[in-house]
Amino acid sequence: MNIRLWGVRGSIPCPGPQTAVFGGNTACMELSWGPEDSHVLVVDAGSGIRPLGNQWMRTRFPKGPIKTRLLFSHTHWDHIMGFPFFTPIFIPSTEIEIYGPVTFEEDSLDKVIGGQLQYRYFPVTMAELAAKITYHRLQETQLEFDLGLKVTTKYLNHPITCLGYRFEHEGKVIVTLFDHEPYRNLFITDPQNPDFDQEVFEEGERAAAEENQKILEFMRNADVVLHDAQYTEKEYRKNRTGWGHSSIEWAINAAHKAGVKTLVLMHHDPERLDSELQTFQENYQRLIQQKSAMKLVFAQEGMVF
Amino acid sequence: MKGEELRKVLSAYIDKMPPLPTSIGKILEICQRPNAQPADLNKVISLDPVLLARVMKLINSAYYGLNQEVTSLVRAIIMLGLNTVKNLALSTAVLGTVNADRNKNAALNLEGFWLHSLCVGVTSKLIAKKRNIAVLDLENYFFCGLLHDIGKLPLNNRVPEIYLQALQHCAIDRTPLFRAEEKILEYTHCQAGALIISAWKLSDDILDVVAWHHDPAGYQGQYSDLVASVSIADYFANIMEIGFSGNRFPVKPAPEVFRSLGISWQEVEDLEQQVRQEIEKAKVFLRLA
Repeated sequence: MNIRLWGVRGSIPCPGPQTAVFGGNTACMELSWGPEDSHVLVVDAGSGIRPLGNQWMRTRFPKGPIKTRLLFSHTHWDHIMGFPFFTPIFIPSTEIEIYGPVTFEEDSLDKVIGGQLQYRYFPVTMAELAAKITYHRLQETQLEFDLGLKVTTKYLNHPITCLGYRFEHEGKVIVTLFDHEPYRNLFITDPQNPDFDQEVFEEGERAAAEENQKILEFMRNADVVLHDAQYTEKEYRKNRTGWGHSSIEWAINAAHKAGVKTLVLMHHDPERLDSELQTFQENYQRLIQQKSAMKLVFAQEGMVF
Repeated sequence: MKGEELRKVLSAYIDKMPPLPTSIGKILEICQRPNAQPADLNKVISLDPVLLARVMKLINSAYYGLNQEVTSLVRAIIMLGLNTVKNLALSTAVLGTVNADRNKNAALNLEGFWLHSLCVGVTSKLIAKKRNIAVLDLENYFFCGLLHDIGKLPLNNRVPEIYLQALQHCAIDRTPLFRAEEKILEYTHCQAGALIISAWKLSDDILDVVAWHHDPAGYQGQYSDLVASVSIADYFANIMEIGFSGNRFPVKPAPEVFRSLGISWQEVEDLEQQVRQEIEKAKVFLRLA
């Protein structure tokens, strides 16, 4: 089982000379398994899925129809925007099974993803797509795909319903936590506040700690974890709390505690330049050098694990 | 309409049961604030038996397919996020405003009903606190008390004319309301409540409280402390005339019920001031005062 990163950026694509090294495309990961990578699936259709689709048209399509699965972590725009530009959807022989969560009382998955394909936004409508596409709404569950690929899903903490994926195949474990903020006590924690409620405070503390522990178990002993790390801890604490993303420091600590072998930090902030990410990588690697056996990588487009 | 026929009619009504009008305005106000606070949302949902039950039902439903049961609203808000819980509360509240005029001929005054439910919730919790029950379990005593009479809502809203007959019979025959229900409807609010709790897949302790709160001495299950506490709290609310839930002739729980909790009636009566303070706080929050 191997993965290749096609988009590592958060929020919005940010092409340009100052982001060319780490890449400007939004989230997209290709996972392949089986003899000579015979089987493939994709996690998230950020703008990175466009070059992925083009490569498949060159390398896979000549060998036969494309059959794949597309797994969505959630349906925020930066994770679905590449879908209309994924060339295989216009090929009649393509078969795609789409999996993902939907938020309570919103439209169904096909409307949320396919809703981009209407004339006001795009020249081709959903009904005109040639490929055979089927949709499956996902919850916390376990699935088994071809050749014994095991997939476990876990709800994450994000402003809409969001899933993490744990892939296991032939002893190798890969976990995605693309958009995730640590759980925290959302209730009043200051005993001086006149509305402070001791019971609510205690239950909030306990719930947040237990939910964070569950995420840690979800990552337990993984070979590779791809973790949201949009902010530094300082930025997060200053004015990014509640936005649904983690800090670099949180991700490193959590993954280290979970016994992760390689931690790949991604969902880089669109304002982050190559020079900054390069400095981060050197600094944080140095900081954990003596303290953890974990390998730390800041994700770049094209990386393979 | 009575007995089995009545059960079927109530069953069909349960899934679209609106929250109480007392909290609708506040829910709309909180949910429409761009900076809605989790503490406010927790408070307003916790104060409405229907809304609370609906939120807990959704969280534990197949919709989320969670591996373990979530029994606290605080945890639900932390897990599912403010937006999801806010949307749910909002959609339930809107449902309530749409259906509001259906209650014109209702037998029970819903503000009185809400006050009674709240009083039983608060009193159950204070009884548990007095008995040094662990802080984290206190909320469950409150929930069970708040929800104990929920079976009266479908009776009151769906078949108000015949429910009024039961209430009148209670007054004329000087008999407890559940006895009058048995006679007139061949179906009690305890049965209707159990129907709701089962349909919404809430936990067994709540189910037993709702089904048994008028017969705590006969209850043989594992939640006897909860059943006894709510039963005593219910009697207290009726005697103190805090709110009104239709029962003018409550029966005092048997001495063994008090003994099982190691508490005396005098000790319960002494809680009055605290109970009234808690209710006042809730009223101020909902701006009813």
